[in-house]
Amino acid sequence: MRIIARGAEAIIYERGDTIIKFREKKGYRIPEIDALLRTSRTRYEFKILQTCARAGLRVPLPIKIAGDNDKILMQNLGGISFDSVFSVKKMREVGELVALMHNLGVIHGDLTTANMLSKENKIFLIDFGLGYFSKKDEDIATDIFLLKSALKSRHPDEHMSAYELFIEAYKTVIEKEFKGIAAHLKDIERRGRYHENG
Amino acid sequence: MYVLGIESTAHTFGVGIVRDGEVLSNEKDVYKPETGGIIPTEAAKHHYALAAEITERALKRAGISLENIDLFAYSQGPGLLPSLKAGWVATRFLAEKFKKKIVGVNHCIAHIEIARMVTGFEDPVMLYVSGGNTQIVTYDKENRKYVVFGETQDIGVGNLLDKVGRKINLPFPAGPKIEELAKRGKKYLRLPYSIKGMDVSFSGMETFLSRIIAEEKIEDLCFSLQETAFSMLIEASERAMAYCKKDSLVIAGGVAANARLNEMGSIMCKERGAKFKFMKREYAGDNGAMIAYTGYLMKNYEQGDLRPKPSFRTDSVEILYR
Repeated sequence: MRIIARGAEAIIYERGDTIIKFREKKGYRIPEIDALLRTSRTRYEFKILQTCARAGLRVPLPIKIAGDNDKILMQNLGGISFDSVFSVKKMREVGELVALMHNLGVIHGDLTTANMLSKENKIFLIDFGLGYFSKKDEDIATDIFLLKSALKSRHPDEHMSAYELFIEAYKTVIEKEFKGIAAHLKDIERRGRYHENG
Repeated sequence: MYVLGIESTAHTFGVGIVRDGEVLSNEKDVYKPETGGIIPTEAAKHHYALAAEITERALKRAGISLENIDLFAYSQGPGLLPSLKAGWVATRFLAEKFKKKIVGVNHCIAHIEIARMVTGFEDPVMLYVSGGNTQIVTYDKENRKYVVFGETQDIGVGNLLDKVGRKINLPFPAGPKIEELAKRGKKYLRLPYSIKGMDVSFSGMETFLSRIIAEEKIEDLCFSLQETAFSMLIEASERAMAYCKKDSLVIAGGVAANARLNEMGSIMCKERGAKFKFMKREYAGDNGAMIAYTGYLMKNYEQGDLRPKPSFRTDSVEILYR
Protein backbone atom coordinates (compact mmCIF):
# COMPACT_ATOMS: atom_id res chain seq x y z
CA MET A 1 0.00 0.00 0.00
CA ARG A 2 1.42 3.33 -1.02
CA ILE A 3 0.29 6.86 -0.17
CA ILE A 4 -0.24 8.69 -3.42
CA ALA A 5 -1.79 11.88 -2.12
CA ARG A 6 -2.44 13.62 1.12
CA GLY A 7 -5.22 16.11 0.72
CA ALA A 8 -6.62 18.50 3.26
CA GLU A 9 -9.12 15.97 4.60
CA ALA A 10 -8.11 12.55 3.34
CA ILE A 11 -5.20 10.29 2.56
CA ILE A 12 -5.30 8.48 -0.72
CA TYR A 13 -3.63 5.07 -0.85
CA GLU A 14 -2.96 2.93 -3.85
CA ARG A 15 -3.14 -0.83 -3.57
CA GLY A 16 -2.72 -2.45 -6.95
CA ASP A 17 -5.71 -1.55 -9.05
CA THR A 18 -7.59 -0.11 -6.08
CA ILE A 19 -7.59 3.36 -4.61
CA ILE A 20 -8.41 3.76 -0.94
CA LYS A 21 -9.61 7.09 0.30
CA PHE A 22 -9.35 7.41 4.05
CA ARG A 23 -10.78 10.39 5.88
CA GLU A 24 -8.47 11.20 8.74
CA LYS A 25 -9.50 12.34 12.18
CA LYS A 26 -8.99 16.05 12.72
CA GLY A 27 -7.87 17.00 16.17
CA TYR A 28 -9.03 20.59 15.86
CA ARG A 29 -12.72 19.76 15.84
CA ILE A 30 -14.76 18.16 18.60
CA PRO A 31 -15.37 14.40 18.19
CA GLU A 32 -19.08 14.95 17.49
CA ILE A 33 -18.41 17.13 14.47
CA ASP A 34 -15.40 15.08 13.39
CA ALA A 35 -17.22 11.75 13.35
CA LEU A 36 -20.26 13.24 11.71
CA LEU A 37 -18.31 14.84 8.89
CA ARG A 38 -16.07 11.87 8.23
CA THR A 39 -18.73 9.18 8.09
CA SER A 40 -21.44 11.22 6.41
CA ARG A 41 -19.05 12.47 3.77
CA THR A 42 -17.73 8.97 3.14
CA ARG A 43 -21.21 7.49 2.66
CA TYR A 44 -22.38 10.41 0.63
CA GLU A 45 -19.35 10.43 -1.62
CA PHE A 46 -19.79 6.73 -2.28
CA LYS A 47 -23.38 7.28 -3.31
CA ILE A 48 -22.42 10.09 -5.63
CA LEU A 49 -19.72 8.00 -7.27
CA GLN A 50 -22.27 5.22 -7.74
CA THR A 51 -24.75 7.59 -9.35
CA CYS A 52 -22.16 8.97 -11.73
CA ALA A 53 -20.65 5.59 -12.56
CA ARG A 54 -24.03 4.01 -13.30
CA ALA A 55 -24.80 6.81 -15.73
CA GLY A 56 -21.54 6.16 -17.54
CA LEU A 57 -19.80 9.35 -16.47
CA ARG A 58 -16.02 9.32 -16.45
CA VAL A 59 -15.33 8.88 -12.72
CA PRO A 60 -13.43 6.19 -10.77
CA LEU A 61 -15.73 3.19 -10.30
CA PRO A 62 -16.72 2.76 -6.64
CA ILE A 63 -16.09 -0.66 -5.06
CA LYS A 64 -17.19 -0.50 -1.43
CA ILE A 65 -17.16 1.38 1.88
CA ALA A 66 -14.75 0.02 4.47
CA GLY A 67 -13.19 0.73 7.82
CA ASP A 68 -15.26 2.66 10.32
CA ASN A 69 -17.36 4.16 7.55
CA ASP A 70 -14.34 6.32 6.79
CA LYS A 71 -12.80 4.50 3.81
CA ILE A 72 -13.89 4.29 0.21
CA LEU A 73 -12.42 1.67 -2.09
CA MET A 74 -12.54 2.59 -5.74
CA GLN A 75 -11.00 1.87 -9.11
CA ASN A 76 -7.44 3.03 -9.66
CA LEU A 77 -7.62 5.01 -12.87
CA GLY A 78 -3.97 5.93 -13.15
CA GLY A 79 -3.61 8.96 -15.39
CA ILE A 80 -2.23 12.31 -14.33
CA SER A 81 -3.66 15.45 -12.82
CA PHE A 82 -5.28 17.73 -15.38
CA ASP A 83 -3.81 20.60 -13.40
CA SER A 84 -0.31 19.65 -14.51
CA VAL A 85 -1.21 19.04 -18.18
CA PHE A 86 -3.75 21.84 -18.38
CA SER A 87 -4.76 22.96 -21.83
CA VAL A 88 -7.49 25.38 -22.80
CA LYS A 89 -8.86 23.20 -25.57
CA LYS A 90 -9.66 20.37 -23.15
CA MET A 91 -12.06 22.73 -21.37
CA ARG A 92 -14.70 21.87 -23.97
CA GLU A 93 -14.66 18.29 -22.76
CA VAL A 94 -14.72 19.50 -19.15
CA GLY A 95 -17.76 21.62 -19.94
CA GLU A 96 -19.62 18.63 -21.38
CA LEU A 97 -18.63 16.37 -18.50
CA VAL A 98 -19.69 18.84 -15.82
CA ALA A 99 -23.00 19.46 -17.58
CA LEU A 100 -23.66 15.69 -17.73
CA MET A 101 -22.92 15.50 -14.02
CA HIS A 102 -25.30 18.38 -13.30
CA ASN A 103 -27.96 16.67 -15.44
CA LEU A 104 -27.73 13.76 -12.99
CA GLY A 105 -28.38 16.14 -10.11
CA VAL A 106 -24.85 15.89 -8.79
CA ILE A 107 -22.95 18.94 -7.54
CA HIS A 108 -19.22 18.29 -7.26
CA GLY A 109 -18.58 20.87 -4.55
CA ASP A 110 -14.89 21.30 -5.25
CA LEU A 111 -14.52 21.70 -8.98
CA THR A 112 -10.92 22.56 -9.68
CA THR A 113 -8.53 21.37 -12.35
CA ALA A 114 -6.67 19.55 -9.57
CA ASN A 115 -9.75 17.36 -9.14
CA MET A 116 -9.64 16.17 -12.72
CA LEU A 117 -7.51 13.42 -14.16
CA SER A 118 -6.27 13.12 -17.68
CA LYS A 119 -5.99 9.57 -18.92
CA GLU A 120 -5.53 8.50 -22.54
CA ASN A 121 -6.45 12.04 -23.51
CA LYS A 122 -9.78 11.83 -21.70
CA ILE A 123 -10.80 13.87 -18.67
CA PHE A 124 -12.12 12.11 -15.56
CA LEU A 125 -13.72 13.80 -12.57
CA ILE A 126 -12.37 12.74 -9.19
CA ASP A 127 -12.71 13.64 -5.53
CA PHE A 128 -16.39 14.06 -4.85
CA GLY A 129 -15.59 14.64 -1.20
CA LEU A 130 -17.62 17.82 -1.01
CA GLY A 131 -20.22 16.68 -3.51
CA TYR A 132 -23.96 16.64 -2.97
CA PHE A 133 -27.21 15.99 -4.75
CA SER A 134 -29.08 19.03 -5.98
CA LYS A 135 -30.68 20.33 -9.13
CA LYS A 136 -31.05 23.87 -7.85
CA ASP A 137 -29.79 26.60 -10.15
CA GLU A 138 -28.00 28.23 -7.25
CA ASP A 139 -26.04 25.09 -6.38
CA ILE A 140 -25.15 24.47 -10.00
CA ALA A 141 -23.99 28.07 -10.27
CA THR A 142 -21.84 27.66 -7.15
CA ASP A 143 -20.12 24.69 -8.76
CA ILE A 144 -19.39 26.68 -11.90
CA PHE A 145 -18.28 29.66 -9.86
CA LEU A 146 -15.77 27.51 -7.97
CA LEU A 147 -14.31 26.23 -11.20
CA LYS A 148 -14.09 29.75 -12.54
CA SER A 149 -12.24 30.90 -9.40
CA ALA A 150 -9.92 27.92 -9.58
CA LEU A 151 -9.13 28.63 -13.22
CA LYS A 152 -8.36 32.20 -12.31
CA SER A 153 -5.98 31.29 -9.53
CA ARG A 154 -4.39 28.20 -11.06
CA HIS A 155 -4.24 29.15 -14.72
CA PRO A 156 -4.31 32.95 -14.62
CA ASP A 157 -2.99 33.57 -18.13
CA GLU A 158 -5.59 31.45 -19.84
CA HIS A 159 -8.51 31.55 -17.47
CA MET A 160 -10.70 33.78 -19.62
CA SER A 161 -10.54 31.67 -22.76
CA ALA A 162 -10.65 28.47 -20.71
CA TYR A 163 -13.84 29.57 -18.99
CA GLU A 164 -15.44 30.74 -22.23
CA LEU A 165 -14.84 27.40 -23.88
CA PHE A 166 -16.13 25.61 -20.81
CA ILE A 167 -19.37 27.58 -20.79
CA GLU A 168 -19.87 27.21 -24.53
CA ALA A 169 -19.68 23.41 -24.27
CA TYR A 170 -21.62 23.32 -21.02
CA LYS A 171 -24.58 25.11 -22.57
CA THR A 172 -24.89 22.55 -25.35
CA VAL A 173 -25.25 19.66 -22.89
CA ILE A 174 -27.05 21.04 -19.85
CA GLU A 175 -30.74 20.13 -19.85
CA LYS A 176 -31.88 22.94 -17.60
CA GLU A 177 -32.33 26.38 -19.00
CA PHE A 178 -29.01 28.14 -18.68
CA LYS A 179 -30.57 31.54 -18.06
CA GLY A 180 -31.50 30.66 -14.49
CA ILE A 181 -28.03 29.34 -13.75
CA ALA A 182 -26.44 32.44 -15.27
CA ALA A 183 -28.55 34.72 -13.09
CA HIS A 184 -27.36 32.92 -9.96
CA LEU A 185 -23.77 33.02 -11.16
CA LYS A 186 -24.01 36.79 -11.42
CA ASP A 187 -25.59 36.96 -8.02
CA ILE A 188 -22.86 34.88 -6.35
CA GLU A 189 -20.16 37.01 -7.90
CA ARG A 190 -21.89 40.16 -6.79
CA ARG A 191 -22.43 39.23 -3.16
CA GLY A 192 -19.24 37.21 -2.89
CA ARG A 193 -16.14 38.88 -4.16
CA TYR A 194 -15.84 42.60 -3.77
CA HIS A 195 -16.36 44.68 -6.83
CA GLU A 196 -14.71 47.97 -7.50
CA ASN A 197 -17.94 49.72 -8.35
CA GLY A 198 -20.21 47.67 -6.14
CA MET B 1 11.53 57.62 6.78
CA TYR B 2 8.48 58.26 8.97
CA VAL B 3 5.06 57.09 7.81
CA LEU B 4 1.81 57.92 9.57
CA GLY B 5 -1.06 55.55 8.82
CA ILE B 6 -4.77 56.05 9.45
CA GLU B 7 -7.26 53.22 9.73
CA SER B 8 -10.99 53.96 9.62
CA THR B 9 -12.78 51.32 7.56
CA ALA B 10 -15.38 50.37 10.19
CA HIS B 11 -15.73 51.08 13.91
CA THR B 12 -12.03 51.55 14.72
CA PHE B 13 -10.20 54.81 14.27
CA GLY B 14 -6.50 54.05 14.52
CA VAL B 15 -3.29 55.94 13.93
CA GLY B 16 0.08 54.25 13.68
CA ILE B 17 3.56 55.55 13.01
CA VAL B 18 6.47 53.57 11.59
CA ARG B 19 10.08 54.53 11.05
CA ASP B 20 11.65 52.64 8.18
CA GLY B 21 9.09 49.89 8.70
CA GLU B 22 9.52 49.68 12.46
CA VAL B 23 6.38 50.38 14.50
CA LEU B 24 6.81 53.33 16.87
CA SER B 25 3.22 53.77 17.94
CA ASN B 26 -0.21 52.29 17.41
CA GLU B 27 -3.11 54.18 18.96
CA LYS B 28 -6.81 53.63 18.47
CA ASP B 29 -10.30 54.14 19.69
CA VAL B 30 -13.26 51.93 18.92
CA TYR B 31 -16.79 53.21 18.36
CA LYS B 32 -19.26 51.20 20.39
CA PRO B 33 -22.96 51.60 19.69
CA GLU B 34 -25.08 51.80 22.82
CA THR B 35 -27.57 49.30 21.47
CA GLY B 36 -27.63 47.14 18.36
CA GLY B 37 -24.98 46.99 15.68
CA ILE B 38 -22.76 49.51 13.98
CA ILE B 39 -24.45 52.59 12.49
CA PRO B 40 -22.09 53.83 9.75
CA THR B 41 -22.81 57.54 10.16
CA GLU B 42 -22.44 57.30 13.94
CA ALA B 43 -19.12 55.49 13.54
CA ALA B 44 -17.97 58.27 11.22
CA LYS B 45 -19.00 60.93 13.75
CA HIS B 46 -16.90 59.14 16.34
CA HIS B 47 -13.94 59.12 13.95
CA TYR B 48 -14.18 62.84 13.13
CA ALA B 49 -14.49 63.71 16.81
CA LEU B 50 -11.44 61.71 17.85
CA ALA B 51 -9.15 62.02 14.82
CA ALA B 52 -7.03 64.86 16.21
CA GLU B 53 -6.72 63.37 19.67
CA ILE B 54 -5.65 59.91 18.50
CA THR B 55 -3.20 61.40 16.01
CA GLU B 56 -1.64 63.45 18.80
CA ARG B 57 -1.43 60.39 21.01
CA ALA B 58 0.35 58.44 18.29
CA LEU B 59 2.80 61.28 17.64
CA LYS B 60 3.53 61.69 21.32
CA ARG B 61 4.18 58.02 21.82
CA ALA B 62 6.46 57.96 18.78
CA GLY B 63 8.24 61.04 20.12
CA ILE B 64 7.92 63.02 16.92
CA SER B 65 5.79 65.82 15.51
CA LEU B 66 3.77 66.11 12.33
CA GLU B 67 6.59 68.00 10.59
CA ASN B 68 8.69 64.81 10.77
CA ILE B 69 6.21 62.71 8.80
CA ASP B 70 7.44 61.95 5.27
CA LEU B 71 4.42 60.06 4.00
CA PHE B 72 0.75 59.73 4.94
CA ALA B 73 -0.99 56.42 4.42
CA TYR B 74 -4.66 55.72 4.85
CA SER B 75 -6.96 52.76 4.64
CA GLN B 76 -8.67 53.29 1.30
CA GLY B 77 -11.08 50.34 1.58
CA PRO B 78 -12.91 48.05 1.64
CA GLY B 79 -15.21 49.40 4.29
CA LEU B 80 -18.13 51.61 5.16
CA LEU B 81 -18.08 54.80 3.11
CA PRO B 82 -18.85 57.26 5.94
CA SER B 83 -16.07 55.74 8.06
CA LEU B 84 -13.62 55.65 5.18
CA LYS B 85 -14.32 59.29 4.41
CA ALA B 86 -13.29 60.32 7.92
CA GLY B 87 -9.85 58.79 7.41
CA TRP B 88 -9.58 60.27 3.94
CA VAL B 89 -10.50 63.78 5.09
CA ALA B 90 -7.99 63.66 7.94
CA THR B 91 -5.23 62.28 5.71
CA ARG B 92 -5.82 64.78 2.94
CA PHE B 93 -5.84 67.65 5.40
CA LEU B 94 -2.50 66.60 6.90
CA ALA B 95 -0.84 65.79 3.59
CA GLU B 96 -1.87 69.11 2.07
CA LYS B 97 -0.82 71.06 5.10
CA PHE B 98 2.63 69.50 5.19
CA LYS B 99 2.89 69.03 1.42
CA LYS B 100 3.56 65.30 1.63
CA LYS B 101 2.51 62.36 -0.49
CA ILE B 102 -0.50 60.14 0.29
CA VAL B 103 -0.59 56.39 -0.21
CA GLY B 104 -3.94 54.57 -0.34
CA VAL B 105 -3.67 51.18 1.34
CA ASN B 106 -5.94 48.17 0.90
CA HIS B 107 -7.21 47.23 4.34
CA CYS B 108 -7.09 43.45 3.80
CA ILE B 109 -3.56 43.59 2.39
CA ALA B 110 -2.49 45.66 5.40
CA HIS B 111 -3.75 42.88 7.67
CA ILE B 112 -1.59 40.29 5.94
CA GLU B 113 1.47 42.57 5.72
CA ILE B 114 1.46 43.35 9.43
CA ALA B 115 0.85 39.65 10.13
CA ARG B 116 3.91 38.73 8.06
CA MET B 117 5.96 41.35 9.88
CA VAL B 118 4.82 40.35 13.36
CA THR B 119 5.01 36.56 12.90
CA GLY B 120 8.04 36.49 10.63
CA PHE B 121 6.18 34.10 8.30
CA GLU B 122 7.36 34.72 4.77
CA ASP B 123 4.38 33.44 2.84
CA PRO B 124 1.40 32.53 5.04
CA VAL B 125 -2.22 31.83 4.34
CA MET B 126 -4.26 34.40 6.24
CA LEU B 127 -7.64 33.64 7.69
CA TYR B 128 -9.13 37.10 8.01
CA VAL B 129 -12.17 37.13 10.24
CA SER B 130 -14.03 40.24 11.32
CA GLY B 131 -17.58 41.51 11.39
CA GLY B 132 -17.82 42.38 7.73
CA ASN B 133 -14.97 40.31 6.32
CA THR B 134 -14.37 36.59 6.26
CA GLN B 135 -11.71 35.73 3.73
CA ILE B 136 -8.84 33.38 3.17
CA VAL B 137 -6.09 35.35 1.53
CA THR B 138 -2.72 34.33 0.21
CA TYR B 139 -0.03 35.58 -2.11
CA ASP B 140 -0.01 34.60 -5.75
CA LYS B 141 3.63 34.88 -6.68
CA GLU B 142 3.16 34.53 -10.40
CA ASN B 143 0.71 37.38 -10.65
CA ARG B 144 2.22 39.43 -7.84
CA LYS B 145 -1.12 39.80 -6.18
CA TYR B 146 -2.86 38.81 -3.02
CA VAL B 147 -5.80 36.62 -3.91
CA VAL B 148 -8.93 35.80 -2.00
CA PHE B 149 -8.89 32.03 -2.07
CA GLY B 150 -12.04 31.48 -0.12
CA GLU B 151 -14.58 33.63 1.61
CA THR B 152 -18.06 33.79 3.00
CA GLN B 153 -20.80 33.65 0.45
CA ASP B 154 -23.08 35.66 2.68
CA ILE B 155 -22.32 37.20 6.09
CA GLY B 156 -18.99 37.55 7.88
CA VAL B 157 -18.40 35.30 10.88
CA GLY B 158 -18.23 38.31 13.23
CA ASN B 159 -21.57 39.40 11.88
CA LEU B 160 -22.96 35.92 12.56
CA LEU B 161 -21.75 36.14 16.17
CA ASP B 162 -23.28 39.60 16.56
CA LYS B 163 -26.60 38.58 15.03
CA VAL B 164 -26.90 35.58 17.32
CA GLY B 165 -25.65 37.69 20.22
CA ARG B 166 -28.37 40.24 19.69
CA LYS B 167 -31.02 37.53 19.88
CA ILE B 168 -29.75 36.42 23.27
CA ASN B 169 -29.27 40.02 24.45
CA LEU B 170 -25.50 40.20 24.45
CA PRO B 171 -23.76 43.56 24.00
CA PHE B 172 -22.03 44.44 20.70
CA PRO B 173 -19.57 43.05 19.73
CA ALA B 174 -20.90 39.71 20.97
CA GLY B 175 -17.80 37.59 20.25
CA PRO B 176 -16.07 37.84 23.64
CA LYS B 177 -19.25 37.06 25.59
CA ILE B 178 -20.10 34.14 23.30
CA GLU B 179 -16.60 32.80 23.86
CA GLU B 180 -17.14 32.95 27.63
CA LEU B 181 -20.53 31.24 27.46
CA ALA B 182 -19.21 28.59 25.03
CA LYS B 183 -16.69 27.42 27.63
CA ARG B 184 -19.58 26.29 29.79
CA GLY B 185 -21.43 24.58 26.94
CA LYS B 186 -21.48 20.80 27.04
CA LYS B 187 -24.04 19.54 24.61
CA TYR B 188 -23.29 19.78 20.92
CA LEU B 189 -26.33 20.83 18.93
CA ARG B 190 -25.99 19.79 15.34
CA LEU B 191 -25.94 22.92 13.19
CA PRO B 192 -25.78 23.35 9.42
CA TYR B 193 -22.17 22.95 8.32
CA SER B 194 -21.78 24.69 5.00
CA ILE B 195 -18.54 24.66 3.09
CA LYS B 196 -18.31 24.78 -0.66
CA GLY B 197 -14.79 24.35 -1.90
CA MET B 198 -12.96 27.02 0.00
CA ASP B 199 -16.01 29.18 0.52
CA VAL B 200 -18.19 29.09 3.58
CA SER B 201 -21.73 30.22 4.24
CA PHE B 202 -23.24 31.23 7.56
CA SER B 203 -26.77 32.43 6.88
CA GLY B 204 -28.20 28.89 7.10
CA MET B 205 -26.67 28.49 10.53
CA GLU B 206 -28.07 31.83 11.62
CA THR B 207 -31.59 30.90 10.53
CA PHE B 208 -31.32 27.51 12.18
CA LEU B 209 -30.06 28.99 15.44
CA SER B 210 -32.82 31.56 15.62
CA ARG B 211 -35.33 28.72 15.37
CA ILE B 212 -33.91 26.70 18.28
CA ILE B 213 -32.81 29.61 20.45
CA ALA B 214 -35.77 29.40 22.84
CA GLU B 215 -35.48 25.65 23.39
CA GLU B 216 -31.80 25.23 24.18
CA LYS B 217 -29.39 26.39 26.83
CA ILE B 218 -27.51 29.52 25.83
CA GLU B 219 -24.18 27.94 26.78
CA ASP B 220 -24.83 24.98 24.48
CA LEU B 221 -25.92 27.30 21.68
CA CYS B 222 -22.73 29.37 21.97
CA PHE B 223 -20.56 26.26 22.20
CA SER B 224 -22.15 24.65 19.15
CA LEU B 225 -22.07 27.90 17.20
CA GLN B 226 -18.36 28.41 17.81
CA GLU B 227 -17.39 24.81 17.19
CA THR B 228 -19.33 24.61 13.94
CA ALA B 229 -18.43 28.01 12.50
CA PHE B 230 -14.77 27.74 13.45
CA SER B 231 -14.47 24.16 12.17
CA MET B 232 -15.70 25.43 8.82
CA LEU B 233 -13.18 28.27 8.81
CA ILE B 234 -10.26 26.07 9.81
CA GLU B 235 -11.24 23.42 7.30
CA ALA B 236 -11.40 26.02 4.54
CA SER B 237 -8.01 27.38 5.65
CA GLU B 238 -6.51 23.92 5.57
CA ARG B 239 -7.87 23.35 2.10
CA ALA B 240 -6.30 26.60 0.95
CA MET B 241 -2.97 25.64 2.51
CA ALA B 242 -3.04 22.22 0.87
CA TYR B 243 -4.07 23.60 -2.48
CA CYS B 244 -1.56 26.47 -2.56
CA LYS B 245 1.17 24.41 -0.87
CA LYS B 246 1.70 26.99 1.87
CA ASP B 247 3.11 25.96 5.21
CA SER B 248 2.02 28.67 7.62
CA LEU B 249 -1.22 30.20 8.86
CA VAL B 250 -2.06 33.49 10.52
CA ILE B 251 -5.44 34.57 11.81
CA ALA B 252 -6.30 38.26 11.67
CA GLY B 253 -9.32 40.47 12.23
CA GLY B 254 -11.48 41.10 15.27
CA VAL B 255 -12.51 37.45 15.66
CA ALA B 256 -8.80 36.49 15.81
CA ALA B 257 -9.02 37.48 19.48
CA ASN B 258 -10.97 34.26 20.11
CA ALA B 259 -8.77 31.73 21.92
CA ARG B 260 -10.69 28.68 20.70
CA LEU B 261 -10.31 29.72 17.05
CA ASN B 262 -6.57 30.11 17.58
CA GLU B 263 -6.36 26.77 19.31
CA MET B 264 -8.07 25.10 16.37
CA GLY B 265 -5.77 26.81 13.89
CA SER B 266 -2.78 25.76 15.92
CA ILE B 267 -3.86 22.09 16.10
CA MET B 268 -4.65 21.98 12.40
CA CYS B 269 -1.20 23.33 11.55
CA LYS B 270 0.53 20.97 13.94
CA GLU B 271 -1.23 17.96 12.42
CA ARG B 272 -0.14 18.89 8.93
CA GLY B 273 3.37 19.95 9.88
CA ALA B 274 2.73 23.63 9.26
CA LYS B 275 3.55 26.69 11.32
CA PHE B 276 1.14 28.77 13.35
CA LYS B 277 1.59 31.82 15.54
CA PHE B 278 -0.94 33.61 17.65
CA MET B 279 -1.15 37.28 16.84
CA LYS B 280 -1.54 39.84 19.55
CA ARG B 281 -4.85 41.66 19.50
CA GLU B 282 -3.10 44.98 18.93
CA TYR B 283 -2.04 43.79 15.47
CA ALA B 284 -4.74 41.23 14.73
CA GLY B 285 -7.61 43.70 14.97
CA ASP B 286 -8.01 46.85 12.89
CA ASN B 287 -5.15 49.21 13.66
CA GLY B 288 -3.24 52.18 12.31
CA ALA B 289 0.19 50.54 12.46
CA MET B 290 -0.71 48.06 9.75
CA ILE B 291 -1.68 50.93 7.47
CA ALA B 292 1.51 52.87 8.24
CA TYR B 293 3.62 49.75 7.74
CA THR B 294 1.97 48.82 4.43
CA GLY B 295 2.17 52.48 3.39
CA TYR B 296 5.89 52.26 4.02
CA LEU B 297 6.14 49.17 1.79
CA MET B 298 4.19 51.05 -0.88
CA LYS B 299 6.18 54.27 -0.56
CA ASN B 300 7.20 54.28 -4.20
CA TYR B 301 3.73 53.60 -5.61
CA GLU B 302 2.28 56.15 -7.99
CA GLN B 303 -1.46 56.01 -7.49
CA GLY B 304 -4.13 57.80 -9.45
CA ASP B 305 -7.43 57.95 -7.63
CA LEU B 306 -6.88 58.17 -3.91
CA ARG B 307 -10.49 58.58 -2.85
CA PRO B 308 -12.10 55.90 -0.65
CA LYS B 309 -13.09 52.64 -2.33
CA PRO B 310 -15.80 50.92 -0.24
CA SER B 311 -15.46 47.75 -2.31
CA PHE B 312 -11.70 47.79 -2.77
CA ARG B 313 -10.70 44.35 -4.04
CA THR B 314 -7.78 42.55 -2.47
CA ASP B 315 -6.62 41.22 -5.84
CA SER B 316 -6.71 44.60 -7.57
CA VAL B 317 -3.40 45.81 -6.13
CA GLU B 318 -0.21 44.88 -7.89
CA ILE B 319 2.43 44.00 -5.30
CA LEU B 320 5.67 45.64 -6.37
CA TYR B 321 7.62 45.31 -3.13
CA ARG B 322 7.69 41.53 -2.64
